[in-house]
Amino acid sequence: MQEIFEISDRFINAADASHLLYEPVDGSLTFRRTRRYEVEAEGDRDKLEKFIKATLLDDISQELHFGEDSALEDFVFVLEYGMKPGALDLEKEAILTYYNGIKDPGFELKDLKIRQRIYLFGDKDAKSDRFVRDICNAAIHNWSVISGNV
Amino acid sequence: MEERPCAVLLKFPGTNCDAETAHALETVGFVTETVPISALKPETLVGVSLVVLSGGFSYGDYVMAGKLAKLVTEQRIGDTLKEFRDNGGYLLGICNGFQILTQLDLLPEGSLVENSSGRFQCQWVTLENKAPDSPFLSQLPETFEFPIAHAEGRLVTAEPGEAAGYLESGAAALTYTEDVNGSFEQIAGLQDETGRVFGLMPHPERFLRRGDHYDPDWGGDETWGSGYYLFRSLYESVTSSDENE
Repeated sequence: MQEIFEISDRFINAADASHLLYEPVDGSLTFRRTRRYEVEAEGDRDKLEKFIKATLLDDISQELHFGEDSALEDFVFVLEYGMKPGALDLEKEAILTYYNGIKDPGFELKDLKIRQRIYLFGDKDAKSDRFVRDICNAAIHNWSVISGNV
Repeated sequence: MEERPCAVLLKFPGTNCDAETAHALETVGFVTETVPISALKPETLVGVSLVVLSGGFSYGDYVMAGKLAKLVTEQRIGDTLKEFRDNGGYLLGICNGFQILTQLDLLPEGSLVENSSGRFQCQWVTLENKAPDSPFLSQLPETFEFPIAHAEGRLVTAEPGEAAGYLESGAAALTYTEDVNGSFEQIAGLQDETGRVFGLMPHPERFLRRGDHYDPDWGGDETWGSGYYLFRSLYESVTSSDENE
């Protein structure tokens, strides 16, 4: 089975997108970050979801969105990036080490992909090039840009 | 010969303030032992008076600051820290340690999230002592300064009213005197109902001596910084507890 889910923050407002860049961006753009996980597993789905909630979600400050749909709406574009296959993903290693220490988790974790998402809001003519250039590192990251719905 | 109380400092991958915290504890009279989380067992805490979770970036702050440290701690020792508290033990969490204590449900409900500035903040702040009877704060004045250094130090509660309740109940033992990072009710530190569990975002171990202060003409104590008096308060509370047993 495959589970896709995304975690967003409840208390963090959209911030000036110039903070992401080496030089300020023209126009009015703001951003929010989320984390997106793609899990391949076999076994008890309920136990997998329980593991996901217990391990990756903070009930007080975060919200969990299941499924492929984007967690946030009305964005200009989304920059999604993560570690290339073969590059050391320390977050993934920490999660897998914890998973491997669980006695009888009730499911077998086959694969875990972790992606960071940056949602850009505001000027609908804004281009993604500078964000890709300043945020992503071609040596270790792969990425995609998802066009928005505004 | 007087027996000195023992403090154990838990060290996670990424904890980086344990050495200076141990130094501060030893300066006021504790003996210390730093225990890597991989070596932690329930029996590690036998005979220990104080458990300290010091500052740093446990597990690289991945997922959320303190989250993975909480999970691994529970995986290794279950509810041992809660039993330790119930048996009269003291727990102190500084910065990342505070984040871990909140995740472990050892402090009133709350989470420490990204500063409202969106940035890592490294600066001195003025704090208000809201709990002068606290075992951790009894020798500190009404206001004093400590340095902070964090990206995720904004205390939030599920509902804003809960944070206001912490001020009324005394759980909010320490507050900033101005809005530093967006914390609800400007809360900088929390204590539990027993008063023996305390967490704070500022770093008392970084202001142990007066020379640690940024201002060479600082008008405080001739020898010690405010951090010394936090650790000294704790030492006196622990030793008086031990004497009463």
